[in-house]
Amino acid sequence: MLALLALATAAVLAVMLYLPTGVVLVNAVVEDSIPTLAPFVDVLTDPFYFGVLADVFADPLAIGEHLHALAGWLAAISISVGLEYRLPLPFVQFELPIPWVGVETPGVRQGLFGFTAYQAALSTIASVAIGLPAAYILANYEFYGRRTLRSLTILPFVLPGIMVAVGFYAMFGRSGTLNTILGGVGLGPVAFVESNPLAIVILAHAFYNAPLVARITVAAWESVDIRAVETARSLGASERRAFRDVVVPQLVPAVLTGALLTFIFTFMTFPIVLALGGLQLATVEVWIYDRIQRLDYTEAATLAVLETILSLGLTYAYLRYESAQTGLSQAASPPPKEALFPDLQTVLSPRRLAILGYGLAALILFVGPLASLVVGSLTDGSGFTLRNYAFLLERQLEGESFQTQPWPAIRNSLLFGVATLVVAVPMGVVISVLTVRAGRSGTIIDTLAMLPLAVSGVVFGIGLLQGLVFGISLPGGWQFQVTGAVAIVVAHAVAAYPFVTRNVSPLLSNVDPAMVESARALGASRFRALLDVELPLVASGIVAGAAFAFAISIGEFSSTVILASGSESYTMPVAVERYLGRRTGPAIAMGTLLLCVTAASFVVIDRVGGRYEL
Amino acid sequence: MTELRLAGVSKRYGDTETSTTAGESEAEAIALQNVDLTVNDGEFFTLVGPSGCGKTTTLRTIAGFEEPTTGTVTFDGDPMTGVPPEDRDVGVVFQSYALFPHLSVAENVSYGLKFRAPPAGLTVDERVRELLELVDLEGMGERDPAQLSGGQQQRVALARALAPAPELLLLDEPMSALDARLRESLRRQLSRIQSELDITTVYVTHDQAEALAISDRLAVMHDGEIEQIGRPKDVYREPDSRFVAEFVGDNNVFDGRVVDHDGERATVAVGETQTRVTLAGVPTDATHIAACVRPGALRRETTQNQLTVDIETTEFLGERVRVHGHWNSVPIVLRLAEPPSGETCSVGFEPEAAHVISSSET
Repeated sequence: MLALLALATAAVLAVMLYLPTGVVLVNAVVEDSIPTLAPFVDVLTDPFYFGVLADVFADPLAIGEHLHALAGWLAAISISVGLEYRLPLPFVQFELPIPWVGVETPGVRQGLFGFTAYQAALSTIASVAIGLPAAYILANYEFYGRRTLRSLTILPFVLPGIMVAVGFYAMFGRSGTLNTILGGVGLGPVAFVESNPLAIVILAHAFYNAPLVARITVAAWESVDIRAVETARSLGASERRAFRDVVVPQLVPAVLTGALLTFIFTFMTFPIVLALGGLQLATVEVWIYDRIQRLDYTEAATLAVLETILSLGLTYAYLRYESAQTGLSQAASPPPKEALFPDLQTVLSPRRLAILGYGLAALILFVGPLASLVVGSLTDGSGFTLRNYAFLLERQLEGESFQTQPWPAIRNSLLFGVATLVVAVPMGVVISVLTVRAGRSGTIIDTLAMLPLAVSGVVFGIGLLQGLVFGISLPGGWQFQVTGAVAIVVAHAVAAYPFVTRNVSPLLSNVDPAMVESARALGASRFRALLDVELPLVASGIVAGAAFAFAISIGEFSSTVILASGSESYTMPVAVERYLGRRTGPAIAMGTLLLCVTAASFVVIDRVGGRYEL
Repeated sequence: MTELRLAGVSKRYGDTETSTTAGESEAEAIALQNVDLTVNDGEFFTLVGPSGCGKTTTLRTIAGFEEPTTGTVTFDGDPMTGVPPEDRDVGVVFQSYALFPHLSVAENVSYGLKFRAPPAGLTVDERVRELLELVDLEGMGERDPAQLSGGQQQRVALARALAPAPELLLLDEPMSALDARLRESLRRQLSRIQSELDITTVYVTHDQAEALAISDRLAVMHDGEIEQIGRPKDVYREPDSRFVAEFVGDNNVFDGRVVDHDGERATVAVGETQTRVTLAGVPTDATHIAACVRPGALRRETTQNQLTVDIETTEFLGERVRVHGHWNSVPIVLRLAEPPSGETCSVGFEPEAAHVISSSET
């Protein structure tokens, strides 16, 4: 029985995951049915893609020359120390002497891949910088709403990327809420997005990934056994020293895990850059999308394969690193939590004031964009208006069939969400069961099944488009072909099932094997024991996984936008992007609708009683 | 009911059974080596030994969770090779109890009745009530397992295992998570239930005192092999090996060289100073022997075989004191009514009180 399910899952994975990925690979290395590596050589040696590294790839053996170039570059760095008489902020006019270390590096041509890595690195630094204080507060202080806040750290991760991008636009745009507020005190307007789109993109990435870093770090922090700290203290270590020697070594792996994940995610970023930066800030992913729009499939496939190789390597490093860490079990005695604001006097201590300041900044960063989304949909720069929604309604009632209408988008989103859930949940559970049962060799299954985490949505979208939607000829004159809608569900299910697996597996491996053995000794077959004992015990994980599957389907943009192009199977995120091109008002209104649907699904999940794990 | 027999059962890990990842050269681990034993119908049989000795593997082999690499397990002469656990008709109680946390106490107890009809015309509910009564948990059926104490959970696990009236009851260290006093009372209760039901029982424990107290017969295991099988008092009094002598109860074991033998008693030289002691039961042709004397046989008032023990530690046990020390570089443990006053203590033992564990002729 279980073997049958396993076979079915393997077959589905083969068709849904490995076939499309394989198609991309074949497209990249086969030109006119002749295997060739020429497209790779072209890309690798093109400074547009690899910047200075292109020279190295072009002639890898000329080591001396490359070293000479590197030395020349290092010699050209100049460091100067001086006094600056202006704060380095765009809209502050104070003249203050500030000691300023100037480091001037001669320009380096990064190329597309270099820039992608550069923005990912900056995003990672920002996410860690913003996430760590949150982890510190959540792990060390007790305050009203701490638990809720802790479980909310998972939320940004499943928020639709395009919606968050529009939210940032609604906040930082020329007529955004921030400029409205600045205008109220006689400043601005400041062209945040226009003058420094990279900063806004990095901030949006931090919106996503800082909570992730915080979440992983808090888990590690709370699993520190306070007895170990107390032992260090009793052996003569000061409080600070005990923290450094006992706590920090247990936090570092968690922070690195979070940073690595952030880097992987932001390396493959797509909707945020597409919406906030456009081609001006193109990352590999955006460029691939652009190639597809121009029907240049070979170059898109070549870039996709290169990107996938890089991200697979990173993901492999992540999985290796993660499994090398001993599992984070709740310690027998976790560190105690201090009350955050016991009395007024404590509130005024420097540390508490710093926490308050951080909390305020975090509130602006995390609530600001979402609030701006709602506010922006109801205002037009001069005051309250329903014009944006009226436009959507009008488009729905009177629009031509080729125009993007709101109701089909909502309907498709919900439909695809439910279909995704139906496909992804059984798949994820079966993979969990197989992984946990296989024990040590389970890591191999785990890694293979986790491939979707490393393959970006855009890459996967091309694979599905070329493999399943355009059709594959089978021997005997048969043609294997699916419609765009089916392909979209496939893409969503593949993106979603790892989350089911990751929610179910830990619970499943915690089930005492003696329970299954007891059931068997009492007469239950192995499959019956799975149904009677293991599945009921991991039910909360399955519900949480289902929630993830639904939320990911609702928010998925990258492969959907490719598969839905020119068809009527567009979803809400795709509709947002289509409106964004011409009219920002309706896009913001559509984003607000998306926010409502996402929020509603989370309320439902919360009532059903899921617990979220990543 | 059922006679259980293990014939030449061996279990190896690492080569054929579990698939190891390539490149990882794991030394083949022998878990069981040629285990032969018979548990008679209705007998309370205990497997005892230190951790890692193979007692749990033996139990899991009987239950069908492990297949022996070689050898056979038979129930009443029927070979069990290839029979999955669910078809073996055994009741198993684990150290962790393994109660199903999502089911109530009554649902736990009735779980096995989904697969095997309750005995003798009882309904499922009646059988559950009967079992809960048997383990003194009347009226607890609606509770969640998590609401019960450790001892109560252990009894639910026992009731659950017994509900389908299995042929064999297998208990894997069922008491080791409980405190000492509770353990003793549960032990008596288990003993009572076992003899009431007259069910063939295999009990696994690392606690030799428990094994001696509860068993009809016991097998002492060491490094995957059975060292000795016998009734508790025989194993205690006449250990077959040095391991058994030292593992079961306190003991004083020493090696000696036979210097004289009059056909009945032998004179043996022991330790650094080759002190002479007189022992009974030494084979006439032996030249070297190992022998043991229980602490209780070393008495102050006995004048034969006098030893002067250098005292190192004294433990107060209530009715007695236990004294650890050395005599003639042999570690000695004594059990005395009163703590000794000086730094040494003189005791003696009768030649018949010693038991010869092994002897050799070279």
